[in-house]
Amino acid sequence: MIASVFKVAARVRASVAAAAVAATLLGGCAVNDTGASEVWDPIETPNRFIFSINRAVDVMAIRPVAVLYRDWVPEPAQKSVRNLLDNLGEPVTAINEVFQGDPSRAATTMARFLVNSTIGLAGLFDVASMMGLERTKTDAGQTIGIWAGKGVEPENGGFYLVLPLAGPSNARDATGLMIDYAIDPFQILPIAFNWDWWYIGLPRYGLNAIDYRSRTMFALDDIEKNSVDYYAALRSAYTQNRADLIRAKRDKTDTKSELQRRDNLALVR
Amino acid sequence: MPLLACRRLAFRLAAGAAFVLAAGPVLAADPAAELVSSTATQAIDIVKGTAGAQRQAAIQRVLQTRFDLPFMAQTALGTHWAKATPEQQARFVKATETAEAKAYAERFGQYSGQTLTVGKTTSRPNNVWIVESRLNQASGQPIKLEWEVRQLAAGLRITDVKIEGVSMVMTRRSDFNSYIQQNGGKVQPLIDELESRASR
Repeated sequence: MIASVFKVAARVRASVAAAAVAATLLGGCAVNDTGASEVWDPIETPNRFIFSINRAVDVMAIRPVAVLYRDWVPEPAQKSVRNLLDNLGEPVTAINEVFQGDPSRAATTMARFLVNSTIGLAGLFDVASMMGLERTKTDAGQTIGIWAGKGVEPENGGFYLVLPLAGPSNARDATGLMIDYAIDPFQILPIAFNWDWWYIGLPRYGLNAIDYRSRTMFALDDIEKNSVDYYAALRSAYTQNRADLIRAKRDKTDTKSELQRRDNLALVR
Repeated sequence: MPLLACRRLAFRLAAGAAFVLAAGPVLAADPAAELVSSTATQAIDIVKGTAGAQRQAAIQRVLQTRFDLPFMAQTALGTHWAKATPEQQARFVKATETAEAKAYAERFGQYSGQTLTVGKTTSRPNNVWIVESRLNQASGQPIKLEWEVRQLAAGLRITDVKIEGVSMVMTRRSDFNSYIQQNGGKVQPLIDELESRASR
């Protein structure tokens, strides 16, 4: 038991160190960004290399499975899988909502988690939504983006990064990913109780990958078909989408800055 | 005077009622939102009534009359626009137009009864409006769509669509820019590529 506590501590420490490094890198590029410029991609060559490997793995293994899943697994079963995975992600969302300065949302998320884990049969059924507890999803990448300050446009997430398997990311979101991993009770508990990762972690991440891939199929196929440089188009789309999520939270009460940014954009044009 | 105002109000109400019947829950009093919802209605009618090449041609006509394609193409090319010759510019606009029509025809091919709910319109300087809307799906979360509408000499035109925060024009711009960079900073290879894709 003590050894496992140490394991957790070591992992948290590693993540915090990585966060500190990434924060330094983020700070280094937080100047002169109008949001209209191209995505900062200083390691484009290695990124493109990882991107091509990811694509090969996707075409050979992940996409076909996702197609089978989408077309052959009955819709209610897919919905239950999604509910289950969403429910496991709920504590991380709640913690992030606290740090985003939205404790009431966090309370709703925790209420959802408690209701769905019990009445909803371990999250298989989304009873909470029927009760009017609306689902929200957020992550530590967004938390960093919100706290990065008004001077940093959400389009600026540090350098662009293509992660093996996980795909498009950047310094901010990759850091967020590590933080989410470190604070996730469903990551910490199996280690604390010495459960085997192959029985807990693997099915969860495997199902998550297939579920996520089947949902992004239409959008990704569309971008791939309608672009001359898929890598660049996806890089732009990812950055804009993440920025939109962060901006929506940051300017919840004040939409002025977003509109000003658009006017600046219009001037650039 | 009160009579006139009253009559105008009655007309507006009637027009509004007609609109609600035509396009679902639309309460649009401003022209920008009306443009968006009528375009959506038109597109859905085309998808229901046509298929294949006929559909693509019909979609292309909608794009030509409702969107400002030359403006969008110019924005997508960014700083490279000024470097291109007039002949290159014309070919580029034509190639992107065909590409857009093809892309939209294919996207609508997957149509399965989604509806568009038009939300609020925000007015910006330089005759630009942002129209917010939601695409309601049969299952799952609605998709957030934002339309950029501009007042141009030819009338009101759509100049950009943002899907979940992703601007079609800005994504194209990034895409094209990267392709041009990789091909020695020249526009011609991009035009050739787009033309060969259009004829495919």
